[in-house]
Amino acid sequence: MNLNYEHLPVIIVALLLLAAFLEPIVYRHKKSWAAPLVIASMAFFALSSLYLMAAVNYHGPFNYYLGGWAPPFGIELEIDYLAVFLLLTFSVIGLIAIVYGLQDLKHGLKDEVLGWYFTLYLLLMASMAGISVTNDLFNMYVFVEISAISACAIISIKESRECIEASLKYLILSTLGSGCILLATAMLYMITGHLNIGYLNDVLPRVMSHYPNNILISLGFFVVGYGVKAALFPLHVWLPDAHTAAPSPSSAVLSGLVIKVYAAAFLKVFLKAYPREIFLEIPVMEIVLFLSVLAILYGSIVAMVQEDIKKMLAYSSIAQIGYVFLGFSLMGQRAVAGGLLHIFNHAMMKSMLFLAAGIIIYSTGIRRIRDMKGLGVKLPLTMGAFTIGALSMVGIPGTNGFISKWQLALGALDLGRPIIVVVILLSSLLNCLYYMPIVINAFFGVKGEPELEIGKVPGVMLYSILFLGFGIIFFGIYPAPLLAFLQKTVTAIL
Amino acid sequence: MWEGDELLGMYWQAIIPLWVVLFPIFMTPAIFILSKRSEKLRDGLSVLTAVITFFSVASLYPFVMEGKTIEYTLFQILPELGVTVRIDILSFCLAILSSFVWMMATIYSLDYMKPEHGKNRYYPVLIFTLGATLGIFFAGDFFTLYVFFELMSLVSYVLVIHEETPTALKAGYKYLIMTIIGGLALFFAIIATFELAGSVSLSKGVLVSKPSTLAFFAFVCYLIGFGMKAGMFPLHVWLPEAHPVAPSPASALLSGIMLKTGAYGMLRVLFYVFNIEVVQSARWDLLVAVLAVITILLGSAVALTQFDLKRRLAYSSIGQMGYVLLGMILFTEQGLVGDIFHIFSHAFMKSTLFLAAGAIIWKTGLRNINDLAGIGRKMPFTMGAFTIAALAMIGIPPLNGFLSKWTLSLGALEAGLPIYVVILLISSLLNGLYYLPIIIAAFFGGEEQEHAHGEAQHVEAGINLRGEATAKMVIPMVILGLGCFFLGLFPSNIAYELSLKAAVFLFRGGM
Repeated sequence: MNLNYEHLPVIIVALLLLAAFLEPIVYRHKKSWAAPLVIASMAFFALSSLYLMAAVNYHGPFNYYLGGWAPPFGIELEIDYLAVFLLLTFSVIGLIAIVYGLQDLKHGLKDEVLGWYFTLYLLLMASMAGISVTNDLFNMYVFVEISAISACAIISIKESRECIEASLKYLILSTLGSGCILLATAMLYMITGHLNIGYLNDVLPRVMSHYPNNILISLGFFVVGYGVKAALFPLHVWLPDAHTAAPSPSSAVLSGLVIKVYAAAFLKVFLKAYPREIFLEIPVMEIVLFLSVLAILYGSIVAMVQEDIKKMLAYSSIAQIGYVFLGFSLMGQRAVAGGLLHIFNHAMMKSMLFLAAGIIIYSTGIRRIRDMKGLGVKLPLTMGAFTIGALSMVGIPGTNGFISKWQLALGALDLGRPIIVVVILLSSLLNCLYYMPIVINAFFGVKGEPELEIGKVPGVMLYSILFLGFGIIFFGIYPAPLLAFLQKTVTAIL
Repeated sequence: MWEGDELLGMYWQAIIPLWVVLFPIFMTPAIFILSKRSEKLRDGLSVLTAVITFFSVASLYPFVMEGKTIEYTLFQILPELGVTVRIDILSFCLAILSSFVWMMATIYSLDYMKPEHGKNRYYPVLIFTLGATLGIFFAGDFFTLYVFFELMSLVSYVLVIHEETPTALKAGYKYLIMTIIGGLALFFAIIATFELAGSVSLSKGVLVSKPSTLAFFAFVCYLIGFGMKAGMFPLHVWLPEAHPVAPSPASALLSGIMLKTGAYGMLRVLFYVFNIEVVQSARWDLLVAVLAVITILLGSAVALTQFDLKRRLAYSSIGQMGYVLLGMILFTEQGLVGDIFHIFSHAFMKSTLFLAAGAIIWKTGLRNINDLAGIGRKMPFTMGAFTIAALAMIGIPPLNGFLSKWTLSLGALEAGLPIYVVILLISSLLNGLYYLPIIIAAFFGGEEQEHAHGEAQHVEAGINLRGEATAKMVIPMVILGLGCFFLGLFPSNIAYELSLKAAVFLFRGGM
């Protein structure tokens, strides 16, 4: 077997970290190279993820021992279907967001912090890649910390009052979450002596009956820790402020990707490290299911009353992350595949919507939904893309949002829970209630409205959202290969 | 039935459903692009598309009359779920009807829309909706049907709010929300069917053969989804708002054709997802029957209290769709013939009425029924067509409305339910009460009144037939009105034959 690609995951993480720390130097001495460097790193990330995806799909998953140290002593990376799926999602959306961001950030950020922004962005990407591939709980914790701190700095980079406030809120809650994760990891290490997920899965069934308290506490801490970071209701309070305050490309990445990586980490810990019997005795997944149902309803209802478009999108994210957790906590084949699919689909939809909102703010300065009357005439392509995103959020067939909802609903029915389907449908209706008025106002009933002042929209920004819009339609019509891949992923996990 | 590729070689007809769905949809951008260049080209291309589509559908006639059925899968979207194409006699009935009325409405639009704004939006949407509607009828499984159903419903929103007045936008919002609710209910129903049967295809015979709780919820959700579209009580609330505010040719299509997609869906549900035994043994038919009766009486009664011409017609549509829902739940062959024939009849009658109402509004600007006295003498052709269609609504022989009511009544008697005949008669009486005064006033009333305003406005738009609207408006209207006459004159006309064949086909198990 040709294993030339086996070093690639490490190279990705290392290279992203290296580029991150080079950025400030490059930006100080050779300003014009800074942007190409970040694009090149992200492009490398995307291409190698694509290559890894193909390789894993063809040759099967593989494990990599860092520095040649075999587990349980060394750090193990497990590049399975889940890992390459996450890598590809993060890298492609991340690349599009930063390509878009180059234009938008020049407009929104002070010149001297731009280099730091690139650093933070690459750090964030490196940590997400790390979380995706690592098979070691402590290593995962380290990456979680890196991503929390860089996300926090990205939120505060504008240095306005609300940004600082939002990032402080995030910092405090997220540190709390990190603490929980660390404690839970320690609890497991205490009883098993292992940090490696595979070894934990082997040893835990033998020791769990002796240490029920440790197990219980670790489960609780993991739920709270990853729940805070992924903004699972009721631990979501930091999200709306943080995602609204950040610059648009960062909002797209934070809402589209960063909260998803914690959901994926949750999946890894709960379904790969813990043996399944635990969930029969301790109904932690039932609790998560209940919380995710509440998240779906709460996020959608609160989104309806928002006036600021980015805040509305942020609340909508709370509901959508509920879908992901809903799929995971059902623990059925189809349901988990649906949750993973929604990670991908929502990453596309939400980053597209945030980027479209970014264009609106960039060219008109309007943030309030009420003022957006007649935008469709002025920005037809942007609002057209926004419409596709909105329809996908509602779950209209032909868009990828429909496929996720179908998969999740079928997963729920497989397990004999039609009430979950009702929740999904109710939330779709609520989505319709807050997304459609924006679309209608933008396109119809504009006679006699005052003319809007429209600045020029850079082509790159427009092309990036059109590309994502195309992706939404494409994966709504032809999701078969993706679903087949996710089927393999889920079979490997469960 | 034949599977797969060899059938494409054997029967070139297999291509036609694809063609008639995709051709209008692909013409949409072409019309949109051309509309920037020249208005004439845009109008011409729209009419041409509608005409070609109609004749393409019509070319299937010999094929389906031989009783043949084709079904094949184009490609899979999800495992076990694909885009499937199906031609059978029932889909042909609805498709030929839709494409014919669509052609008439498109021709009518040419002059009607001239003074309107936003024509560059109207025509592409009109043609796109045609493709989506035909997609519903030629869908070979419920998933494909659902996709096209949603597509049609959402795109026709643009037709509803065309005027962009606050009233129209409000009505449109109501329409949109109800559409989404219906769509989500259908989503649940289809996914529950898929869970129960492992397939949602129309070629598997009965999908759900045992009543269960989930099956009942699926049935109710089908009823919500399709009943909403068909204007069934209590989900009709959007209809009397949305149909009158649309431009008249669009109202004719909304009332004449798009309501029927709901009825078509229910027919497919009753005969393909469940079957007579399941529905009757679980007494689910009672639910439909009660709602249908309320729909009939409520639609007709409320129409009496409406004095806006188009609103009265919209309420009348609700009543008439009640007939269709009632007819399919009788579960007798005669009843089903009447049911499908009433779909034909109502499409002809209601589109004639809406087009005539549109011509009156276009010419005089009058919408209130009390102002229409004497209009028949000014616009004899328009009011003539209106009168034929209105008399057909009441059920006067030898018009098509009589024939459908007659057959429906026979079906009700065959099922041993004479009470339904009484309901039909009461409703006919009510129809008479609200249609006859309009006709009487139009021809015999209002000698002293003069309709000065709006007379000279559109003279330049075409030939002026004694105060009539233009020829392009009058001719489609008159053709449809004569259709009401000829499809009722002999009890063995083409529509009746098709209905008979379709009913027998469904009763044989619909394979």
